[in-house]
Amino acid sequence: MISKVFTAALNGIDAELIIVETDVSAGLPALNVVGLPGIEIREARERMRVAVHNMGVSFPARRVTVNLSPADTRKEGSHFDLPMAVGILGAMSLVPQQSLENTAFLGELSLDGSLKAIRGVLPLAEGILRNGIKNIVIPAENLREASLVEGVNLIPAGSLAEVSEVLRNPDFALELLERYSTKNSRKPKTPEKAFEKDFADVYGQENAKRALVIAAAGMHNIAMVGFPGSGKTMLASRLPGILPEMTYEEKLEVTKIYSIAGEISPDEPLMDKRPFRCPHHTISAAGLVGGGSRPRPGEISLSHNGVLFLDEFPEFTPSNLEMLRQPLESGEISICRAAGNYRFPADFMLVIAANPCRCGYYGDPMHNCTCTPSQIAGYRRHFSGPLLDRIDIQLEVMPVKYEELSCEAGISPDSGTMRASVSAARQVQEERFRGSGIKFNSSLAGSLLKKYCTPSPDGERLLEEAFRTLALSARARDRILRVSRTIADIEGDGQIGSAHIAEALSYRSLDKLYRG
Amino acid sequence: MVHDTKYAGTKKELINTEIINNEVNYIDAADERFPDSLRMIEDPPRGLYYVGNIQLLKTPSASVVGSRKATEYGKWVSKSIGTRLGTEGVTVISGLAVGIDSYAHMGALKAEGKTIAVLGGGINVACPAPNRNLMREIIYADGLVISEYEPGVTPSRFTFPRRNRIISGLSSATVVVEAGFGSGSLITAEYAAKQGKNVYAVPGNITSQASLGCNKLIYDGAIPLIVIEDILNEFNIEIKKSQGFSKKLGHDELTVCEYVANSGETDIDHICVGTGMSPGKASGIVTVLEMKGVICTGMGKIFIAK
Repeated sequence: MISKVFTAALNGIDAELIIVETDVSAGLPALNVVGLPGIEIREARERMRVAVHNMGVSFPARRVTVNLSPADTRKEGSHFDLPMAVGILGAMSLVPQQSLENTAFLGELSLDGSLKAIRGVLPLAEGILRNGIKNIVIPAENLREASLVEGVNLIPAGSLAEVSEVLRNPDFALELLERYSTKNSRKPKTPEKAFEKDFADVYGQENAKRALVIAAAGMHNIAMVGFPGSGKTMLASRLPGILPEMTYEEKLEVTKIYSIAGEISPDEPLMDKRPFRCPHHTISAAGLVGGGSRPRPGEISLSHNGVLFLDEFPEFTPSNLEMLRQPLESGEISICRAAGNYRFPADFMLVIAANPCRCGYYGDPMHNCTCTPSQIAGYRRHFSGPLLDRIDIQLEVMPVKYEELSCEAGISPDSGTMRASVSAARQVQEERFRGSGIKFNSSLAGSLLKKYCTPSPDGERLLEEAFRTLALSARARDRILRVSRTIADIEGDGQIGSAHIAEALSYRSLDKLYRG
Repeated sequence: MVHDTKYAGTKKELINTEIINNEVNYIDAADERFPDSLRMIEDPPRGLYYVGNIQLLKTPSASVVGSRKATEYGKWVSKSIGTRLGTEGVTVISGLAVGIDSYAHMGALKAEGKTIAVLGGGINVACPAPNRNLMREIIYADGLVISEYEPGVTPSRFTFPRRNRIISGLSSATVVVEAGFGSGSLITAEYAAKQGKNVYAVPGNITSQASLGCNKLIYDGAIPLIVIEDILNEFNIEIKKSQGFSKKLGHDELTVCEYVANSGETDIDHICVGTGMSPGKASGIVTVLEMKGVICTGMGKIFIAK
């Protein structure tokens, strides 16, 4: 007879419903899986056979055919073990058919029949619920993560035997829920500091902090150039802390991405802090933007709603960097593979850091630079190109002197005050851009730029003057207008004045470097 | 005797077709256009290959040289000297290398003055590739590019020091803007001293690696270039007083300006602490002052430009 069991398959960060059809009929003993199964699913046959055997049921010595429907989409993931095993139990009439009707199954089987945690339970559960199925059987270890989905009836199980028990006796579900939710109960949260990494720890660097506030307020991408040890990484790692807190939807979206990447910790399933990713410069293309034959999210998606920090920016291969252009423009990445077209969100703030030259000391009076002029020119060539058009703020970071390190940071702002000015400026932008399709000043371009970024007459004069004397490029103009809009928002001014333009003009260190 | 000959190197070595079309000319030491100043030096060149206005060899000139690795300060000083000399009608001679040399040429071009580039290899051989455009600009601006090596000769570590004797020999004075230890411009200074020319050195911070050579030159008796106008004394040019900037500046600008002037070299954070301004305001004012040409910035450092 035939049984039908519901499960789901990942597609990008969404999941679609999959029906596992199992038939046990007369014929030579065999177990065939059809319906474009991935390699994990084909291997699942052996795990399933042993696990079913080890729960005390002899595996049918008959011809077993498993079909994953719809048959034309490729399926991957180890969570197909459980639905396929349940399908066989159903086809052997060991569990009642009607118990399978409004329930979906996710889980990886161990040879002894126990259930193991899977990747991507959050998007999978959400996809199943969207298709109208309320009950989901999941591995007990995934309970905390899956419970982020609202309106779903979760049944955690530790083994295949428990699953078959709960299918025969639906009341057993409550007992299971009680057993595993107490086992997994949340430790009382230790009162932690409001900011894990606080800007109060950074002495001096007033100018850099100011620039970071501007960057955070308008979601401007930022570049930092400075000698080794001047604090670029320290500053960048504190940036997510001053971004406003994520909304619940944003948190869920980030959690979904991390769930697919398998980076969720079982104790803290919800990603409630903005991500900060700093990939090493040897990262591959697939690692950066996402990829694989069945694409997984890359670093740019893992920094969605947060900060992507590229330290030693000129060391990244140029082709990798060019790949950032599309996501920076559209806030998502679309990856085309033989298996299909996948979209992952990738709306991040790009922070890049670089030394002035390869050895790091070009222009430092205290150290001798050992690079040759052509090495310096070669190093700087990495700064050119269209990617830099998307970086509005360019900052020079100077090392702090020993005397300043040893004294207490007096007037220096901490993360709390910095976040307050960021949030205030964000509010102004929210009201301004309501209904216009963009969210932040950094997205201003074309007619919107003209509409919202017309400076006062003396601001305009200053900008004109700057073009003449500082030899600015045309694309630098847009950049300066966007940044001065954010500065005006922080100061609470409706119109862009000359003071705002003047400050925005000071964040153009790469232009200077690029000019030689 | 005049030998006006057209030369062509191998294709790989050619700097660009324009130079070839612009034909490389030759004068030998017996030619009347060959300057006496070069005849009198030790080991004079037998002749010169050139592109451009050969008359420049006999104009009053000063050489402005320095290290390839220049600080923002050095670049600015070099360009300013070039501009000032160019304005006063003094020909600026340098070696077309990256760094100080290029900025000296650029300064002269900015003032629409005359400039001579002395190369360490054949004229049609790509000298530092990024400077091809500069070379073209010099030729178009009625300047002169010369070399004692025939077209096609690749510059080597031996030819560069040798051409320095031509740089110093052609000019009545030599200014070393920035030089670390072992910089080639120290060789130029040495030649100049041997040839009996005045050597000026731009003093730098004693902590600055880029100025060690210059400071050493001053110790050895070179004339320190205290203000840019000092070099004009060499040519008996009357120094016009520069207008004070204080009148044109607003109150806040003046505060920042005075602070920078008093601290010599500083950065935004120090200005904030010193003047009590917010970082945003201070960086804005610094930018405006930079645009007005009162101060100069580079790699986060800020210093007075006048």
